[in-house]
Amino acid sequence: MDSMEFVDPSKEAPTGGSRYFDDALRVIYEAIADINLQLPQEQRIEKSPTTVLFGKDGKLDSLGLANFIVIVEQKIEEVLGLLIGLTEDDPFSPSTGHFRTVQSLASYISQSVARERGGAHPQS
Amino acid sequence: MMTSSGTSNAALNLHLISDFNLETLGQYVRNDTSAPVVSVSSAPFGQVFPTLLEPSPSGPSSFALVWTIPEKLVPTFAAALNYVAISEERLIAEVREFADCLRKAQKHFRAIFVVSWTLPSYYRGTGILNLKGQGPRKLLLKMNLALAEELENCGNIYVLDGQRWIDAVGKNSHSPKLYYLTKTPFHAEVFVRAVRELKAAITAVLGASKKLVILDLDNTLWGGVVGDLGWEKVRLGGHDYVGEAYVDFQKALKGLRNRGILLAIASKNQESIALEALAKHPEMVLRPTDFTTWRINWKDKAANIADLVAELRLGLQSAVFIDDNPVERARVREALPEVYVPEWPADPTLFPSSLLQLDCFDSAYATAEDALRQEMYATEKQREFSRKAVGSAEEWLLSLDTELTVEELSDANRVRVVQLLNKTNQMNLTTRRLSEQELQTWLQSDKRKLWAFRVRDKFGDSGLTGILSLEVTSEVAYVSDFVLSCRVMGRNIERAMVACASRYCASLGLRELRAHYLPTVKNKPCLEFWMSSGFSHKEENWFVWLLDQPYVFPPGIKVNSLPGVDADAVAAQDGSPHGNQVSPVPASTR
Repeated sequence: MDSMEFVDPSKEAPTGGSRYFDDALRVIYEAIADINLQLPQEQRIEKSPTTVLFGKDGKLDSLGLANFIVIVEQKIEEVLGLLIGLTEDDPFSPSTGHFRTVQSLASYISQSVARERGGAHPQS
Repeated sequence: MMTSSGTSNAALNLHLISDFNLETLGQYVRNDTSAPVVSVSSAPFGQVFPTLLEPSPSGPSSFALVWTIPEKLVPTFAAALNYVAISEERLIAEVREFADCLRKAQKHFRAIFVVSWTLPSYYRGTGILNLKGQGPRKLLLKMNLALAEELENCGNIYVLDGQRWIDAVGKNSHSPKLYYLTKTPFHAEVFVRAVRELKAAITAVLGASKKLVILDLDNTLWGGVVGDLGWEKVRLGGHDYVGEAYVDFQKALKGLRNRGILLAIASKNQESIALEALAKHPEMVLRPTDFTTWRINWKDKAANIADLVAELRLGLQSAVFIDDNPVERARVREALPEVYVPEWPADPTLFPSSLLQLDCFDSAYATAEDALRQEMYATEKQREFSRKAVGSAEEWLLSLDTELTVEELSDANRVRVVQLLNKTNQMNLTTRRLSEQELQTWLQSDKRKLWAFRVRDKFGDSGLTGILSLEVTSEVAYVSDFVLSCRVMGRNIERAMVACASRYCASLGLRELRAHYLPTVKNKPCLEFWMSSGFSHKEENWFVWLLDQPYVFPPGIKVNSLPGVDADAVAAQDGSPHGNQVSPVPASTR
């Protein structure tokens, strides 16, 4: 599964403008800190938008990705107060690709949060 | 929370046996660099019974973790969860079958840790009927109790309380999503807690748990500064929430003392004022007699602690230091890194719970010697006073009226022998660590012999404090274990043990008795003994006694029995001018 071809991150929809992107990034970085405790030193994940998570050159195998998904979902609930399922689209599928990089995941989360909140501002 | 360090077992392995995906726990264990470092192997997924019945070959340093889902392992419980009326006899019989398999596997591992069965935190069951009739939680309690009782007498199988890990994580402890994705029912946080407990359990089995708590006084055992307030006005008990917390903290410490953990004081105070407070305050739980020793003065605490630990003949790694003052904690951490200094809350109401959650006191055994440790050290103090009163060391040793009782391994002493074998660092020739099962297997050959030595003198009973084992070939006997508790070191017990071995070997007509010292960072005292033992020492770390000469018993030590050696033969060989006595061996011990 690790060698699957995924959607090219450079072709993803622009996300930096999403009002929830920074929150999503914070949640992901907290989850990375947790998941790194499971990983050997050389496989630990860097907290950077360009870090490849899953697929070719990714640091997570399918067990690691499953653990990561559960941790991220829990952090979203804790930090943003929302129950957002990250497995509605098959996370292991090459065609989905939102777990390909930190940036693609942050984009996916921020769009999901925006949908849940109907475009409301995080503090409102 | 901490896991105690101080072990040097580099090649420890944990074998995971489970009916769910336990790989996440394995990853946490692999990445945990705190001592003891443990490698991980896994049994084939879901193959619990076949693995227990035919485990793959494992070494003496291999531990097993057996963690199962109750409704998967026990079919009758699965039926009960679906509210089918079940036979409770059948349910318990299935638990016993599992316990049987664990017993069969125990000889393959140094220790087996079995996690108690739990139900998911989201599982509501039958609500108010959960603990009535065949309520699921009632049945699960019965199953766990039956399992614990079945394994009660298995010296190297321990049931770990998995419910604590679930409770600590709370509502997120189980993840249905993770289960459906990866067949892992638990959230990673449960495994983080499990790893801490496993490390503490392995440390306990290795005998590296802490033995001594050194306490500050002012604002640690009571509120306020006794030198300023006087003992009548310190905060302790009364109708005061802080005073009550200090009383509960002292009660928790008293509980540790009752478990055999020594208490000591390192406090910057005037000794007479502090001791008066301990003796006179009506709500003081800990009295001066509860403390094995103390250093109450104005000197540096680190120096006082080093001195105090040396007095008790313990290693610094055996000690825990508790002080409310962060500056003192930092000082001791810096000066004595081997001493464990837990972070301590500023709020006294958190003192009792902070103490009760420490895992560094976990012990794999509870023996009579543990419970009496405090008394044994008290009699040691009396010995020290008498040593100062008597002119020479030789006269003092003669005045002790020491008696040595020699026993073979038996059901009555096995737990203590294994504990001593695995805990002793200083007077230990080979530092061989064995489980009960491994020791019994080793002794199955009639070429091997093991004696346990009980020591008592006019001041009291020091308990079972020595072990000597031998491996005999056609002409030579090799000492496999030579172990003596630091509690009785320096009282010529070492020489008496060697004399016993030489008598036994001579009675077999052997030519030589040899001992091979295996150095560790802690067993230099053992080398010093053998260097002065009178054995020839021509090859590095090898010590040889030619058995055509009797090895003389030290004067003043009476040996009550010597199993395996004819008493007359022993007495006839005794060259001691002090007329050492060897009593006939009681028939029951032969």
